[in-house]
Amino acid sequence: MRRALALLLAAALPCAARGEAPDPTYLPDLQARARDLHLGTSSGWLRLGHWRPRPFGGWKGEADGPAFYRAPGGQTDPEAELQATLAAFFDAAPKADELDDALCRFPARFAFLVRELGIDLGRLPLRPCPRQQEFLGRVMARGATLVFSSWYLNNPASAFGHTFLRLNKAGEALGGKTFELLDTGVDYSANVDTGNAVAYAVKGLFGLFRGQFNHYAYYYKVREYADYESRDLWEYDLALDPGEVAMLVAHLWELGGTWFDYWYLDENCSYHVLGALEAAAPRLELLRHVGRYVVLPSDTVQALYRNPGLVRRVHYRPSIRTQLDARFARLGPAGREAALALADDAAAPLPAGLPEPEVVGSLDAAADLVDVRHGKAILMGKDDVMARRRQAILTRRAALAVPSPPLDLTLPQQRRPDLGHGSGRLELGAGASRRDGALLVLDLRLAFHDLLDPPAGYPHTAQIEFADLRLRWAPRPRRLELDEGWLVRITSLSALTRLEMRPSWKARFGAVTVRDAGCPGCLVADLEVGGGLAALGLGPADLLVTGDAELQGAPGLAGFRGRGVRLGLGPSGLLRLTAGDRLALAVEGKWRWLPEAAPRQAYLLRAEARLHLGPRLSVALEARRTPLDDEALGLLHLFY
Amino acid sequence: MIRSAKLFAVLALVLAAGSALAADSGLKGSGRYGAAGCGLGSLIFQDQPGMVQILAATTNGTFGSQTFGITTGTSNCGAGMTAAGTRNFVDANKDALAKDMSRGQGETIGALSVLAQCKDSAQVGAALQSNFKAIVPSDKATADEITSKLIETLQADKALGCQIAG
Repeated sequence: MRRALALLLAAALPCAARGEAPDPTYLPDLQARARDLHLGTSSGWLRLGHWRPRPFGGWKGEADGPAFYRAPGGQTDPEAELQATLAAFFDAAPKADELDDALCRFPARFAFLVRELGIDLGRLPLRPCPRQQEFLGRVMARGATLVFSSWYLNNPASAFGHTFLRLNKAGEALGGKTFELLDTGVDYSANVDTGNAVAYAVKGLFGLFRGQFNHYAYYYKVREYADYESRDLWEYDLALDPGEVAMLVAHLWELGGTWFDYWYLDENCSYHVLGALEAAAPRLELLRHVGRYVVLPSDTVQALYRNPGLVRRVHYRPSIRTQLDARFARLGPAGREAALALADDAAAPLPAGLPEPEVVGSLDAAADLVDVRHGKAILMGKDDVMARRRQAILTRRAALAVPSPPLDLTLPQQRRPDLGHGSGRLELGAGASRRDGALLVLDLRLAFHDLLDPPAGYPHTAQIEFADLRLRWAPRPRRLELDEGWLVRITSLSALTRLEMRPSWKARFGAVTVRDAGCPGCLVADLEVGGGLAALGLGPADLLVTGDAELQGAPGLAGFRGRGVRLGLGPSGLLRLTAGDRLALAVEGKWRWLPEAAPRQAYLLRAEARLHLGPRLSVALEARRTPLDDEALGLLHLFY
Repeated sequence: MIRSAKLFAVLALVLAAGSALAADSGLKGSGRYGAAGCGLGSLIFQDQPGMVQILAATTNGTFGSQTFGITTGTSNCGAGMTAAGTRNFVDANKDALAKDMSRGQGETIGALSVLAQCKDSAQVGAALQSNFKAIVPSDKATADEITSKLIETLQADKALGCQIAG
């Protein structure tokens, strides 16, 4: 290996130094050889150009920036693109912009073609590419890690997580974490050019943002995600050989020079990170294992594990919130009181006789508490009072002149994103209702997780669901109904602790079949929001109580003053019991006052029990009571 | 086997050439940084309306910042083994660094020891902790001020064996 490298160096460097021109007679040979080998439609070439098969034949390249293609029809013709790329390698005329030289823009393609065609570098010498070299040199990658930033529950949009790459200057974590902050992070994200929320949502869903690959010092992401967004980071060290790592960096340079239409649902951050890995290491099968229409970041982490041996190690980097909880847990009662007091007044006197480790621990916890509560405001210069308090706590801590013991949290196996259930769920059920007799039920949910689903790898106190439809067929009256159909349904439970008191809330939007006298059996549009408080971890139980407002509308609805719209106001309660990972039980009740409508009130009582049999299968029992009907069902849940 | 060796050799060649450059300038930044500095506030968090901030988590959008583009090459806010690289590091990690310094240990101190090429990060932590008030005199201390005081402290204590140039 080293001899080959030395030979190449000897062969190539003098040529590059002399600036020899490529041999033009060599090009037709190479092009012919490429055609004979059908290289243009080989898996390696297709992955490098990110061409995907179209439904009715042909190819479409995912990259949308024109400079990514040298052939005029390159986006849809990988063979022509290969021929044009080869021709462009032989074009050694000086260029105004280094990236106009194909050799400088496409180092990964070059390496691929050199290998596949056995190109003689004496006849096609390397040319100087200073910007490319500067990037490769700055990155100095010896290994790669896939990083998953977890959710922050108070921001449901972060629930799906984010994946990006870290290019490591050391092959393995050298002596722990000290080197990692200085590594290079690379991600694919949208270049957002609007401050309008609706435009943002529309553009994100319909590919109207440009997505680009970015790189930065990894510390930026650690600070942003772990410190200011309270998101844990999961780092999956990848077992790539040096050639694959080199290919990855070279290919990221290629991708960096173009853009992709950013599609929030499928061609998002996770999708393109996997695409880059697959291009660099053709032995990997990653995209095959993620959804076709919706790609969730947690799915991409699971895809890593479908390649045995790809994940060398998993590291856990707790967010500041997790660190704070750990620091608090390690203090005794006096230490905790001290920490809370310090967070309110940095000069607060500490109890006499508090042992030094507790003093140290309480000051450290107080500093983290101030950061969790006010960190972002302090950073943005919006809270002078808290900035001064933080400074005072830190100064007081430094005066103790003893180092803090390292926090060293063990990796929480329960929360590993690669252990999560499949994000899609299909339910099949049968049962009976008092009014309609026997029932058959089919429920399909596109994504993501509810409060009774298998808990591993998902937020335990949040329910986030997209596109959940339940069809209900009653054979006796021959009625097929959309029992419920939700575009989005979110419930976020926040604990009330001494550290923070945050309200819990829920929201849902979709359609529901009315089961009270207002319009029995009608399908109405439904929008509901609720806010309240939750008590979590009362033994195996979690309790949520909210006050809700619900709006329903449909032509036949006996609504507000006879109109087709009605408002419902009232409380609802939810009690959830969990026994380990296998069993979950929920009882839910809600009552609605329907002002100036007929009837004046409505209610719902529901109970559900679920038993998780495996990663893909659960069984459930449901019972429901509404003003007009009672029903009970047994269901099978299949995750995919 | 031979083919992959050749592929590796070609790429290693490309990287080696780059590393040759890097020996002089690679890990080191160019010394220039964007007018807005390399802090989190200016680069990562900007003032956006609340709803958009919430949605931003979905695309992890960078709000038009070109600083981090791969080929646009304006990423001068990187880690570099010079005062400029240290300054960038302090700028981006200011609050976390202050906290770690007050504790006499932490990941940022480890990274700083690598940047300044010091011998032992535990000793560096102790030195920075005992000089905390001088290095971070107030909450208004700028990254520049902290960096110069920090470098002064590291250079003054020969036992730390740091290689950072002032």
